[in-house]
Formats: sequence, C-alpha cells, structure tokens
Amino acid sequence: MINVTVKLSADLRRYRPALRIDESLPLSVPEETTLLELLSEILQIPAHAIAIPIVNGVKCKLNQKLVEGDRVAFWPPMAGG
Amino acid sequence: MYYGYTGTILRVNLTHGEVTKEALDLKMAEEFVGGRGLASRLLCAEIDPEIEAMSPENPLIFGTGPLTGTGAPATARYVVVCKAPLTGTIACSNSGGFFGPEIKFAGYDALIIEGESPEPVYLWIQDDRVEIRSASLLWGKTPVETESTLQKLTHPASKIACIGPGGEKLSLMAGIVNDNYRLAARSGVGALMGKKKLKAIAIRGTGGVNLADPEQFWKASMDMHAKITGDPVSFGSFRAYGTASLVNLINEMGAYPTRNFQSDTFEDAVKTGGEAITEDILERNRACFACPISCTRVTEVKEGPYKGRGEGPEYESTWSLGALCGVSNLEAVAKANYLCGDYGIDTISTGATIACAMELFETGALSEKEIGFPLRFGDEAAMVRAVEMTGKREGFGDILADGSYRLAERYGHPEFFMGVKKLEMSAYSPRVFQGMALQYATSNRGACHVRGNTVAAELYGIPRYMPPEVLEQKEEMVRRPFQNSTAFVDSTGICLFTKFAITHREICALLAPATGIDFNFDRSIVQGDRIWNLERMFNLRAGFTAADDKLPARVSEPSPDGPRAGSRAILQNHIQTYYQLRGWDEEGRPTRSKLKELNLEDFWNVCSEHD
Ligand code: SF4
Repeated sequence: MINVTVKLSADLRRYRPALRIDESLPLSVPEETTLLELLSEILQIPAHAIAIPIVNGVKCKLNQKLVEGDRVAFWPPMAGG
Repeated sequence: MYYGYTGTILRVNLTHGEVTKEALDLKMAEEFVGGRGLASRLLCAEIDPEIEAMSPENPLIFGTGPLTGTGAPATARYVVVCKAPLTGTIACSNSGGFFGPEIKFAGYDALIIEGESPEPVYLWIQDDRVEIRSASLLWGKTPVETESTLQKLTHPASKIACIGPGGEKLSLMAGIVNDNYRLAARSGVGALMGKKKLKAIAIRGTGGVNLADPEQFWKASMDMHAKITGDPVSFGSFRAYGTASLVNLINEMGAYPTRNFQSDTFEDAVKTGGEAITEDILERNRACFACPISCTRVTEVKEGPYKGRGEGPEYESTWSLGALCGVSNLEAVAKANYLCGDYGIDTISTGATIACAMELFETGALSEKEIGFPLRFGDEAAMVRAVEMTGKREGFGDILADGSYRLAERYGHPEFFMGVKKLEMSAYSPRVFQGMALQYATSNRGACHVRGNTVAAELYGIPRYMPPEVLEQKEEMVRRPFQNSTAFVDSTGICLFTKFAITHREICALLAPATGIDFNFDRSIVQGDRIWNLERMFNLRAGFTAADDKLPARVSEPSPDGPRAGSRAILQNHIQTYYQLRGWDEEGRPTRSKLKELNLEDFWNVCSEHD
C-alpha cells in the first residue's frame, strides 16, 4: 500500500461534506492505483465530475498511476478571471 | 436608421460648457466594431499620443458596443478609453452593471468628454437632453452616497458612473465606479475624470436598441443563452463560487504570487479563497444587465473591526490584498476591498503597491517614521490602514496613491516594482504560466490578465489545452486566440466571461442580425488584429519601444519554493517570434505592409522603415 492525500474543492466538496476546506483526506491505496481507480473505486466520485486533476502541482490525466506521498487535488470544470 | 448602433456620439466640452452631437461614422464602426476598438479609434483622431495624460487635451471616452443593451446574454459592458494617467499607454478599462446599456437607451454609442471644468460638475443626460450641473454637494462622497444622492436629484432610475475620493484627489490608481460597486478599474482612468472635475455622469434613457433582423437576433440569442446555461464552467463553479474559486487551484499549482512575487505559493490561500468567501461572508449573487451567469458576489462582514458591505472580493482582489501582502484574514481582505470601492481605487494596483511598500519596509529602504507605523507582510491591520490612507491621500498614503512603479523608484528599488509599463501584474505567476509571461510583457495597457487570459488554455483547456510550462507555439496562442480575440470581444459589448462557453462564431451570429452589417468569423479575426495594432501604434507614438516589452527581473529568477520550485519566466526568443508573427520588425514596430493589410496606414509615422 502507498499513502497519498486527496483534496476536494468547489462543487466536489459535496462528496465529502464533513471535510473542512483546509483539510486533505489521507488515504492508503494499493500500489499502481490510477487516479481513475481512486475516484471510482475508493472515493466513489464519478469521473465526469472532474475536469482538472492535479498531482503535486501538475495537471495530469486520469490514467496516471499514484506513487507514495502524492498530493492529489481534484477540481470540477471551472474558470475565472 | 441605425441598427445595433444608435448612430450618435455625444461630445461634451467641460472647459466651455458646450454640448454637441455627431453622427457615428458607420464605416469606422465596421472596421473597429465598437467598445474598445471604436473608442480607441476615436481617441486616435482626437489627440497626438505624445500629450501629457493629465492634461485638458486628453479626452475621456465612454464607449459601448453594438451588442451593449440589446438584451442578449451578458450584453452589459461599456469601456473607458483615454491616454492612461498611470502608465502613459493607451487605456481601456471596462465594466459591466447597468450603466453601459443605459448609454445606449439614451441614444448614444459613445460619450467624448473633453476639456476641464473649473468647478466640480456632473453630467445629467436624459435621452437627448444634456445638462452640466454643479457637483459641489457631491464632492467628497463615496460612490454609494453619490449614486443615492444623484438618483434623488435626477431620476430614481438613473444609472450612475462616478469617481470616489481617490479620483477627486487624482490618485493614479483611481477608477470609475458604476452601479455603486462596479469599477472600470485599471490604468488610472478615474484620475483623469478627477482632473476634469467631473464627479459623475447620471444617465436615463427611455429608448431601446434597434435590431436589423429581430427574429434572427432573438434566435441566436436563445441559442447563446442555452449554450451558457448548459456549460458546466459558466453555470457551475464560476456561478457558485465566483471568480475567487480559482484561488485554491492556482495556489495548488504553485502559481499564486505571494509577498510581492517573492514566492508563488501562499500557505494560507484557502482562508481567502472562493469557498471561504461563499461560506463566511456571501450574502447572494448578483447579475449584470441580461446576464444569466450572475458571477458577482454581494458580501457582508457583519461585525468586528472589519465590518462592512459591498461586492466581492473577486479573485484578483482577494489575491492582491491577501496573498500578495501575506494577509490571510478574509474579513480584513474584504474590508480593504470595500474601502477600495468607497474610495474608487483599483484593488490590484492598491494591493500591489502596499505589497511593494511592505518589501521596502522589511528591507529597510522605507522607515517606520516615514510610513507612520510598521508595515510588514502579513500584518492585516497595517494593510487595511494603508488602504485607507491611500484612498484619502493622507500622510504616507499620498505617496502610495500613485502606484508601485513610482513608489519603488522613489525609494531607490525599481526592482521591487512587479509590473510592466508601470501597470502591476495580476494573480497568475509568469514563472509558471509561460503564455501569461509573454502576455504581460506585450500587453498594450501594461501587465494585465484580461488582455489575453492564456490561463484558459494553459489550465482549463479552452480552446485547447497547452501545458503552462510549454514554450512552443505560445507566441501564436498569445497573439491570436487570446490578445486579438479579446480585443474583438471587448469591442462588441458582451462580457468576456461568456468566452468560457461561446466563441466568435456565436458572437458574430448576434452582431450580424443586430446591425445588418456582415460581421462574420473571418472578419472578426482581422478586426481583433486591427484593434491590437492600433493600440500598439498609439503606444509607439507615445514613446514606448521594444525595451518596454519586458518583465521584472525577479520573475526570470527561479521560483524559490512550492510545487513549481525552480520554474521561471522565459521570454528571450519568444518576443522576436511574437513580433514576426504579428508582422512587426525586430523593434516591435508594425511594417508598412501589415498596416496596409489592416487599413491602418493613415496614422502617425511610427511604422517600420523596413519592407
Ligand atoms: S459574467 Fe459576471 S461580470 Fe460578466 S456580465 Fe455576467 S455577472 Fe457581469
């Protein structure tokens, strides 16, 4: 197993309403877990709700595999000024 | 009969107290569209860009687009164009609300305000009746006080644009406030209004906007409405959390400039982000004229030292008054934002100037005696106090009121000024977003995010994803789908925020039936390019050169920490490639053939000698 943290922002917070905005979810997941598996199997958040997955500050694809210590943050479709 | 346009330009000379009306030149409108393009073209006919910005010769032009006030989605915008008091470049500040549409309803495409009044005055425009009235009772009032007083003195439904005390005192960071809280903020347009002693414009229009083909227009409008309300961005997070929903995302990427750009990650960003604003101080959303998105946030701090009420803070304001000053107390940031509204000063420049002063103080270049109190990063009470002094031009605020470029120069540290062409950068680190780096360096009004917000491509993937660190093809991306395209959109009267959901094609599908003119996608590309080049020529004639297309040295140094530690703005070869793509010479001057292609040959002799 590997340890990662997950942050949910904006609309996605409805999937974990008890999580404070400054809190990350610490998780132990099997090695080689992809972001997609993390979403659908562990967090049970539909992948289509995610537009911007960020791992360690870098936007990436959902087939990316997690490694120990990854800092994952998900965003819904968004933009701003 | 005019369609889309009203066909009339109102000219008011404040020196002589004269009011005249002129017919709109439709050929000019076809070439420059309206709004930003048309008002810039009108400015170029009025002045030689070499004049002093704060002189009576410099007119203040309020422009609308052919779509402003038509009732299609988000057709709320007006622009203010002049030679910028803060920067000396061409200025075009833009704002939504209801004031812009009312200019059209009263029968005007643009207002040209020239000269200077000896005494404070306001304009009262009631359809075709125009009066210049004494504003001695309004002088010193905040925008909210001014609006309610003027609605009593004129008509309860008048729409008001005015300056606050900051503009009256000629702060070079002053903007023009309309509908109580909305600010045409940047470049110091409010200082010029103050110099003219024009406190306010009250406008009441009872007309409408004629449409050439109403049936087609409303069909296109319905289509656009459906696209916007069906769009997960425009109608999702943007609506739910406002522009400030970006705070945590940009910070997560290590691209959120902090403590005067010393770092790109703010440890306390979450405390001043969109989620915190929504949970802690949001009262409700508010929309501009005909806008389904309603991104504006009415907020209130109910008690305590930072009690207040107003709109925002928006993304840029919560950043400049927050992270940039190292401040993490949301109520203090909100208060500083309300104060900027009360004084009518730009939140970005104000926060950035205080951040610059904090760095000067912490490095010992500026003493406590000069400021009157210690001004350290993270000291929220000192930050709020500095905003208040700046708005009033009181004590050290007299120096802060003219922006960070002049402040940093005065205290011998020009390298602490974090901007381009005297305009402070905004909340996207150019160390991380390479498109933004090029955009800040080349933007016609100085470092600014809304002349070409490449973050749309570099993060959200609109129109297509180009990773932030990639350099290849960024020049073309900055030039056409961002800078030129924005110049076109800003000229139509529709809000730029619709661009997350729609393209030029949808906008042209409205413009053509509105005006009866053949506006189409291909022409929109040329129109955007023409407007950008006209602005560039203005700046060249005003004395700017390729040497001014540069970023502050600090952002070319590696980012010290955070997830993007080590990244830095890379401009070198970029700039020349960008010039080439634009059809400019290596000095950044348009070539004669480029100007010919754009039908811009008649202007000052600033083009390249080559070719
Ligand atoms: S998107 Fe926001 S700023 Fe633009 S018109 Fe609508 S409410 Fe106003």
